[in-house]
Amino acid sequence: MIERGISQDRMNFLWGLAAAVSLVFALRLVNLQILMHSHYQEIAERNRTQILPQAAPRGRIYTRDLAAVAANKPSFSLIYFPGRINSVEAMDKMADSLSRRLGMPFDELRAGLYRAVKKGAPVRLAENLSSKAMFSISELKTMYSGIDIVVEARRFYPFGNYLSHLTGYISKMDAKDWAVYGKDKNYGMDSRVGKAGLEKMYERDLKGRDGGIYLEVDSRGKLSRILESRKWEPGSDIYLTIDSKMQAAAEAGLKASNTGKGAVVAVDPRSGAILAMASMPDYDPNRFVSYSDEKKYDNMKELPEFNVAVQGTYPPASPFKIISSIAGLDSGRMDPAETFLCPGYFDAGSRVFKCWEKKGHGKADFIRGMAKSCDVYFYNLGIKTGPLNIEKYARMFRLGRPTGIPLPDEKSGNIFGPSRRAEKKSYWFIGDTLNLSIGQGETLVTPIQMAQLISAIASRGAFWRPYYVDHVVDFEGQITFKSKPEKLSQAELKDRTWELIREGLKEVVLEGTGQTVKIDGVEIFGKTGTAQNPHGKDHAWFVAYAQLPGEQPEVAVSVLVEHGEHGASAAVPIAKEVIQAAFRGRLPGSRALVNTLASAGSGAVSGSTAPAGGGR
Amino acid sequence: MISTASAGLKKGRMDWVLFFSVLTLIAVGTLAIFSSVSVLPHQFRIIRTHLIAVPLGMAVFAAVWSLNYQIFQDQWKFVYGAVLLALIGVLIFGVVDKGSRSWYRLALFSVQPSEFARIGLILVLANYLDKKITSIREFSVVLGALLLSLPVFFLLIKQPDFSAILLTLPVVLIMLFAAGANLFHLAIILGYSFIAALFPILWTVIHLNPELLDSPLVNYFFHLSDFGWSALSFVLAVGGAAYLLWVLSVKLYSNISGVFFGGAALVVVLGFFSGVMVKHQMKDYQEKRLQVFLSPEADPKGAGYNLLQARIAIGSGGLLGKGIFSGTQSRLGFVPERHTDFILAVVGEEMGFWGTMLVMGLYVMILSRIRSTARLARDRFGYLVNCGIFGMFMIYFFINFGMLLGLSPVAGVPLPLLSYGGSNLVATLLSLGLVQSIYARRYALV
Repeated sequence: MIERGISQDRMNFLWGLAAAVSLVFALRLVNLQILMHSHYQEIAERNRTQILPQAAPRGRIYTRDLAAVAANKPSFSLIYFPGRINSVEAMDKMADSLSRRLGMPFDELRAGLYRAVKKGAPVRLAENLSSKAMFSISELKTMYSGIDIVVEARRFYPFGNYLSHLTGYISKMDAKDWAVYGKDKNYGMDSRVGKAGLEKMYERDLKGRDGGIYLEVDSRGKLSRILESRKWEPGSDIYLTIDSKMQAAAEAGLKASNTGKGAVVAVDPRSGAILAMASMPDYDPNRFVSYSDEKKYDNMKELPEFNVAVQGTYPPASPFKIISSIAGLDSGRMDPAETFLCPGYFDAGSRVFKCWEKKGHGKADFIRGMAKSCDVYFYNLGIKTGPLNIEKYARMFRLGRPTGIPLPDEKSGNIFGPSRRAEKKSYWFIGDTLNLSIGQGETLVTPIQMAQLISAIASRGAFWRPYYVDHVVDFEGQITFKSKPEKLSQAELKDRTWELIREGLKEVVLEGTGQTVKIDGVEIFGKTGTAQNPHGKDHAWFVAYAQLPGEQPEVAVSVLVEHGEHGASAAVPIAKEVIQAAFRGRLPGSRALVNTLASAGSGAVSGSTAPAGGGR
Repeated sequence: MISTASAGLKKGRMDWVLFFSVLTLIAVGTLAIFSSVSVLPHQFRIIRTHLIAVPLGMAVFAAVWSLNYQIFQDQWKFVYGAVLLALIGVLIFGVVDKGSRSWYRLALFSVQPSEFARIGLILVLANYLDKKITSIREFSVVLGALLLSLPVFFLLIKQPDFSAILLTLPVVLIMLFAAGANLFHLAIILGYSFIAALFPILWTVIHLNPELLDSPLVNYFFHLSDFGWSALSFVLAVGGAAYLLWVLSVKLYSNISGVFFGGAALVVVLGFFSGVMVKHQMKDYQEKRLQVFLSPEADPKGAGYNLLQARIAIGSGGLLGKGIFSGTQSRLGFVPERHTDFILAVVGEEMGFWGTMLVMGLYVMILSRIRSTARLARDRFGYLVNCGIFGMFMIYFFINFGMLLGLSPVAGVPLPLLSYGGSNLVATLLSLGLVQSIYARRYALV
């Protein structure tokens, strides 16, 4: 070694230190680049990519005759990708220029920008942009990084209010929805969910699987390029049992009625399939879809979501006489040939009960009593039959029980009778018997219960669970759900009873209170009613079923016009149009009929072809 | 090792292993720089500067190599004068960048004199220690070395360039250490530096956690950062404590000299005053860097974000890397300072584990060659110069790698030969030229 008067130990020590530290570095690099590689790679991927969820087009909703009630159309949304430029001043400035270009409130835009930065994820600032707005935004895109426009499928209800109570609507999630769907990865904070009706009940089917655009962004959030877009899977289409023309007739009829309020339910007595279900007042579900209309939503606290058809309860009035008659005839206590004199009133001893016809109906047997809806005849019938008997048959005909239609909050109405009174530890009076037999008093029914009832008369006692979804088809064309008619119960009556009831109901249409429903070539059996209402004008009822001569009954309808006063004048014409629509194309001179229908305000349903709903 | 080395040494005037290690590092660095700046708007300025710096550095390397290094020992006063002049000049004529006045702006590029000053200081100190080697174990020699360095540090603080201080101070200590200075003396200096650094760090910690101020002791300590009664009381308390300990040790008949206690008290007090000075000189961004080192999670979108993103870049590179010009972290701007201080992140991301291992291996190789050259140097001056350059490389290597791997604070320290930075590259090649010059004029074996 060279002698320099200096020890090399210190140098050797430094070299050893350097070697030891580099070993530590090497181990650290092994850990970082090999053991933790996938972890860091994932972060790096997340860094450079931002996923813009693209809502899958919701499944469409079709009527039986393939009119699309709910479809989708393309819409342009303004997206903001948060980047590193996220100072409050920069965002306020951006929100200011955007609000001036879009005419949207500054606060709303700023809140959106803040939300994006806070979550570190893209946010939709505005939806359904007009072409003018898009033009001015494309200018802004060069000034502010992070702003972009994407195309999305947007829910669209081509016919507006049409069938709105059944389809429901979609809107932004609230806290309650988030509790339900939050765990599902298919849902994001700004996903839309069904809030009512079919949209809510079939949410998971209609939703589909959201897609996403994977975007490469730089550290300032500026869009670098689109990496890939994962295609969405559209939601399943729902095919309803609803007949578009009958529905249109029902809605137009209700709207044109003297109060414009009420409900129409038409069912197929062979299966319980709902052919039309209208409830007025209704609403336009389109108004909830869009983002900027949220203020409107706040103003819509009195949204007419109340579905009269399943939630409205009314005294059944004269249609209840069907049950009174059945009770009397089937129990054998009434001879249909027995006549009672109607002087226009009935003296019950302590009180006088009036017939609706002040002049009286004279002598009436069962058929005449039914046809003229003579109250006095039914007072006598009720006394002879006995209230317990009537209550028993009312139970057999499922009054006081929900029909089981798959809709939320169906009301069960109220059954009325001596045993019910006894449960409540109260007394039963003769007057109660009289009220019971003509369907007044405490009996309450919903329009759909009445439809189920008249449908059971048509089918000789078959009670079906009403349903309105026929089948569900997923995006690959596979049928994922098919409804089967479900018989709830069967009312067993003597054949003679069925015959007499049919005769009576036929006489109502031919000679009695429901004559205006008559349609050439169709046999119609019906019963009108006027429900006394102590709080205002009377409610008008009409229940009917119809068949082609010599064939099975095909349609059963119940119509209620709230405060419509007389069943014969308010409810019957609506039922007539619905029945006419049911038999369209199969009657002599049908073409002319359909044409008049189309021009009679049901123009919304313009054809049986699905409207061109964009998106797919 | 010796046999293979000496076999090659007989003929060669050039250490090819060192030379090719240097060339490979420059090549890897150039690739990484080109890749990382290719998306920047001012990329051509950077590439142009780099393409000027590389040949310039090689020319300096060759020139110094051909020059007999002993001239620097003879002309040490000239070297020392040039260093001080350059550092004084930059305070007058320099331009300010990031709060520091440490650049000379020239027509095509800027020059950072502190890079060259460090090498000048190594030469001056090597000469000093060479002359004083017989009395190296006396404290006066250590103090003399520090006094020689003091003007340089003073001028660096005036800029202020803390990174340069952070790099230069250890070099001075390593040279003293290698020259065989008394470890106790080094411990005093280390203790002094430690206290001088500890105070600002503790104050920053307290600043980060204001709830600590509820404790009266912490509150008192925090207010020491301002001169005043509390500072005076602190000095008196330290002096008193040292005196009491001395009295106690005398009573216990121990043989510890009073100088020890006086020295300890002096070190603490001097360290404290230096700490206060450093604290008052610190720029905001420097304080922020300190904070980030102390709690990197506190500010994920700020300065800690940078370090995190750099680490993500390295980690995401994996074994083979994403390929050159394909790193997403660096090219999309997530990694800051990617062509300078964080260049290793680019290498790690684009060339993977093999890339980082190659770079590290080359550094270890260069360190090894400098050490061998030191062993072969024909005189003590050459040996000491090599020790200084070894220390300089080692500190660069430790701090830059350590920073990216989360083992040392975020400091603006480049990776020599790899990072973009003309002054650093030329100065580094100059130092390696010195090593080569020493190698070429080594003591002829047998």
